[in-house]
Amino acid sequence: MDTSEPKSLSARQAGLKACTICGALYAIDHQRACDRCGARVLSRRRHSVQRAWAFLFVGILAYIPANVFPIMLTRSITGDTSDTILSGVMVLIESESYGVALIIFVASICIPVAKFVIIAGLALSLHFDWDMSEHTRHRLHKLTEFIGRWSMIDVFVVAVLAALIQLGAILTILPGPGINAFALSVVFTMLAASALDPRLLWDTDNHVR
Amino acid sequence: MTTPVDLTDQLSNQVSSGALIACPGCDLLHHRQRLHTGEFARCERCADVLQTRKPHTIDRALAAVLAGIVLLLLSLCLPFMSLSRSGIESTISVLDAVSSLWMSNMRWLGLMTLGFIVLLPLARLVLLGWVLWRIRFGRKVRRSMKLAFRWALKLEPWAMADIFMVGVVVSLVKISSLANLQVGLAFWSLLALVALSVLINLLLCRDTVWIHLSPNR
Repeated sequence: MDTSEPKSLSARQAGLKACTICGALYAIDHQRACDRCGARVLSRRRHSVQRAWAFLFVGILAYIPANVFPIMLTRSITGDTSDTILSGVMVLIESESYGVALIIFVASICIPVAKFVIIAGLALSLHFDWDMSEHTRHRLHKLTEFIGRWSMIDVFVVAVLAALIQLGAILTILPGPGINAFALSVVFTMLAASALDPRLLWDTDNHVR
Repeated sequence: MTTPVDLTDQLSNQVSSGALIACPGCDLLHHRQRLHTGEFARCERCADVLQTRKPHTIDRALAAVLAGIVLLLLSLCLPFMSLSRSGIESTISVLDAVSSLWMSNMRWLGLMTLGFIVLLPLARLVLLGWVLWRIRFGRKVRRSMKLAFRWALKLEPWAMADIFMVGVVVSLVKISSLANLQVGLAFWSLLALVALSVLINLLLCRDTVWIHLSPNR
C-alpha cells in the first residue's frame, strides 16, 4: 500500500471480503458460507482469468465451424439450398429486407467477434497491467455481459423455421450442423464473460495468472 | 452517491454492526445508507447499484410473478403461429414446435429451445414465486429459500424469451415470400411475458428479500 494515505479503499485492502449475492461483509479469513444468503464468499473469484480464457477459447473454437458449415438447409420443389450465417445475411440483403439483415449481421457476427476481442482484451490487460482506465474496463465488461445473450437470435430463427416449415416435398427447412456450433459458441462466451470477476478490473495490486 | 470509507475508520466494529457495504462490481467500501422508500444508492466509483429500497416489493413482485407463470403456461398451449401455402395449413404451439424438432431428429435444437424459452424462465418464475409467497404469508424461513432465491437471480441471463421474440419476428420476415404466416394468441401472451419480466426486475428489491430471509442479522 502507498505511504500516502489513499482516500478510499476496497474491501480486500481493508482485510474484508464481500458476498456478491447479498452484500454482507466478512473478515478475509472467514471460512464458512455467507450467513445471510448461503452463497460461498470469495474475495476474488478463484482462477477467474484462467476460467475466462478457457471458456473464451472454446467459444472461439466453436465459432469457426459455426461459420464454415451451413446453419440452415432449405428443401423445395425447385431444389435444395443451404445457407451459412454470412450467406443468410446476403440473401436477406438481396431480398431487400435490410432491417432484418442488419439485425442478423449484428447479432451473429458483430456481437460475437466484439465479445471475443473485449474478453481477451480485458484478460490481457490484467495479465500485463495495461495502462487502461478502470472505468473503460468496467464499461466494457458490463457491455459484454449485456449484449452476449442477444447472439442467440439466429439459433431461434432456425428453430422456428425448422419447426414451422415442414410441408414435405413442397418446402422443408432443416437446421444445418453450423447452428449447434454457433449456439455452443454463444453459451461459452456468456460463461467466459461471467467467469471474469469485475472486481479484479479495479485492483491496483493485481498479480493474477 | 454514497460516501466511500477512509482508512481512519474503526473497521471491525463497523463490519460486525453491518454499517459497511462493499460494491459488488468494484469492491469499494461504503457506509451503508439509511434509504427512504424508493431511493437507491450507487457506488461512487463504478456506479453499480449498492442498495435499493423499493416500495411494497413483496406484494408487487409476487403479483407480477404469478401473472408471469399464467402467461407462460398459456403461451405453451395456445396456437403460436399458423402457416399456409398451396392450400396446406398448419398451426403450431410452442410445445408442438419443440416436439416437431425432436421428432425430426433435430434434438439439440429442440432441447435448447425448450430450455431457454420454457424450462429456465419457468424455473425462475416458480422459484421467485415460491420464495415471495412464503415471505408474503409469513411462513417459516427455510434454508432452501435462500438457495432458491440465489438460483432465481443466477438464472436471469439464461431465460431468453425476449431474444426468442426477436427471432420469431425475424423468421416471419424471412419466409414472408415463401408462405403466408400469421401469429396466434400465444405470440401475444409471450410478448406480454417479456414485458412482465422487465417489470419483475424493476419491482423486485433484492435487499428487502435478503432481509426477510435473514431475520436475525
